[in-house]
Amino acid sequence: MRSLLAIEWLKIKRYRTFWVLIGLFMVLLPLWNYQISKGIISIGGGDSMGGINLLNTAYSFPSVWSNIGFWASTFITFLSILVIIITSNEYTYRTHRQNVIDGWSRLQFFHAKVIMVVVLSLVATVYLFLVGALFGWVNSGSLTNLFSEFYKVFYFFLLSVNYLGLGLFLAIFIKRSGLAIGLFLLYTNFVEHILKGILNSREGAPIGNLLPLQASDELLPFQLMQMMKSLMPSSNTFSDSTYVIATISWCAVYYLAGRILLLRRDW
Amino acid sequence: MLFRAPLNFPKPIINISLLLIFLIPLSNILSIQNLSKSYGAIQALKGVSFDVPEGSVYGVLGPNGSGKTTLLGILLNVLLADAGSYSWFGGMPPDDARRQIGSLLETPNFYHYMSAYNNLEITASLRGRGLDARDSVLQQVGLFERRHSKFQEFSLGMKQRLAIGAALLGNPKVLVLDEPTNGLDPAGIAEIRQLIRTLSSQGITVIIASHLLDEVEKVCTHVAILKQGNLLLHGPVDEVLRQEDWIELRTDNMAALQQALLTLPGTVAPSFRIVDGLLQLTGTQGITPAMVNEHCMAQGVVLTHLVLRKKSLETRFMELINK
Repeated sequence: MRSLLAIEWLKIKRYRTFWVLIGLFMVLLPLWNYQISKGIISIGGGDSMGGINLLNTAYSFPSVWSNIGFWASTFITFLSILVIIITSNEYTYRTHRQNVIDGWSRLQFFHAKVIMVVVLSLVATVYLFLVGALFGWVNSGSLTNLFSEFYKVFYFFLLSVNYLGLGLFLAIFIKRSGLAIGLFLLYTNFVEHILKGILNSREGAPIGNLLPLQASDELLPFQLMQMMKSLMPSSNTFSDSTYVIATISWCAVYYLAGRILLLRRDW
Repeated sequence: MLFRAPLNFPKPIINISLLLIFLIPLSNILSIQNLSKSYGAIQALKGVSFDVPEGSVYGVLGPNGSGKTTLLGILLNVLLADAGSYSWFGGMPPDDARRQIGSLLETPNFYHYMSAYNNLEITASLRGRGLDARDSVLQQVGLFERRHSKFQEFSLGMKQRLAIGAALLGNPKVLVLDEPTNGLDPAGIAEIRQLIRTLSSQGITVIIASHLLDEVEKVCTHVAILKQGNLLLHGPVDEVLRQEDWIELRTDNMAALQQALLTLPGTVAPSFRIVDGLLQLTGTQGITPAMVNEHCMAQGVVLTHLVLRKKSLETRFMELINK
């Protein structure tokens, strides 16, 4: 397994797009949160205009985790696109074939990519932890409550594997980076919302919340929505553990579908 | 001019490793049984079977679209056969076998944003080999000076050379080369052919797909001829692409000549036909025009015309393909 990762690293460490997208994620995440915490981006006009800044209330422990986790879940798109580009590049340059010709099994090729998804998610999660700890420390004045609601960091890891895993599956399925990125963005921004709306408009449990990416999004919801929900009479929803199981299940679906595809298809 | 030993004789033994090959009973490096493959309605391979003996230079010859690349793709596990099977090295697991095989399939496939040097690092890692051979391989294919250039800056010929270099990495026992001289200039083509001969003399088995008869004839010991997915013929080159010679004769009394030829000594199965007033004598392996002349004189037949004709390989190949 280490050699799979080592070879994958050889491939991407000299790829400029890799560093650009990683860099964008790493720069934008703290910058964006900094602006919000300072009230530069706010709803209702901001402090200077007498509006109520609802967004900047949540940067002390423990709420920093759910807050920064939510914003990170939007920036994770950069890494999903990165996974799609790296994987579809192999098809464009037919290096996926060469990897197998030179001695990898088809499964090894696939597992190298799966490991990359998990490692990238780990890196993103560790980074989220560092940024969150810094914001929490500054805004709380101490690190005493660092680990309260710390499971939200783990939720982010799951969310990341889910987003990158879907990207990996789409890249393997479609093989072309432009089309795969287009479909990924279309799905995350529109299709899933429409499907969720349709499914949740029916009576009973909001099964639209269990759609592939939505299941993870529910683990780290937008703070304002959370507040509004808590004011309303309890709408029926699923517990966090249901969403954790749903997320893991979807990841398993991507893995199995990708695996079957790669083993049965001509390369 | 190139030197070619008679193919039905063992090659001259020049070192111990070659000697070993003769001591160990010759076995098949690759055995192919009944491989078939379709792309939708098009059947690219129709039940192809043949064996590749160890130490041979095996040419897979056929026009464009005859199934050569499909066949090699299946043997390298990038394509899946609909039916049939193959085994490398007498049944080694395919994933292990491929690490012993240096391959170039269809086009040179490398990471375009990386240098030749770094690309070979990946190839070596995939094969589970060290990096020691990287410099020597690049020198062998004449790319050492350009080793730090990015792959995307290479010309087609340089890409092809790099692919051959990558195939050589880690001393493979077998080389599989799909159209290896594609995109190379005449000097490059000559170099690659010389390289193949050198490798072959070191005991490496080489499998080459080509649509160039000339290429196969110059470097191969064995050949399999494919046409539209069918295996037409396979075996040693001198058997499959045997040059059929014939002798043209004329005399004033053709009937007497035919009578005289029936007793021509040393003929296996002489057959003759008369075309445009000339008698064409075939099946004359080992018979020289001088022997025919001498025999006819002895029989009292005076020849007015005596010529040895050779059928070109091209003609033979076209006959096979158009059958």
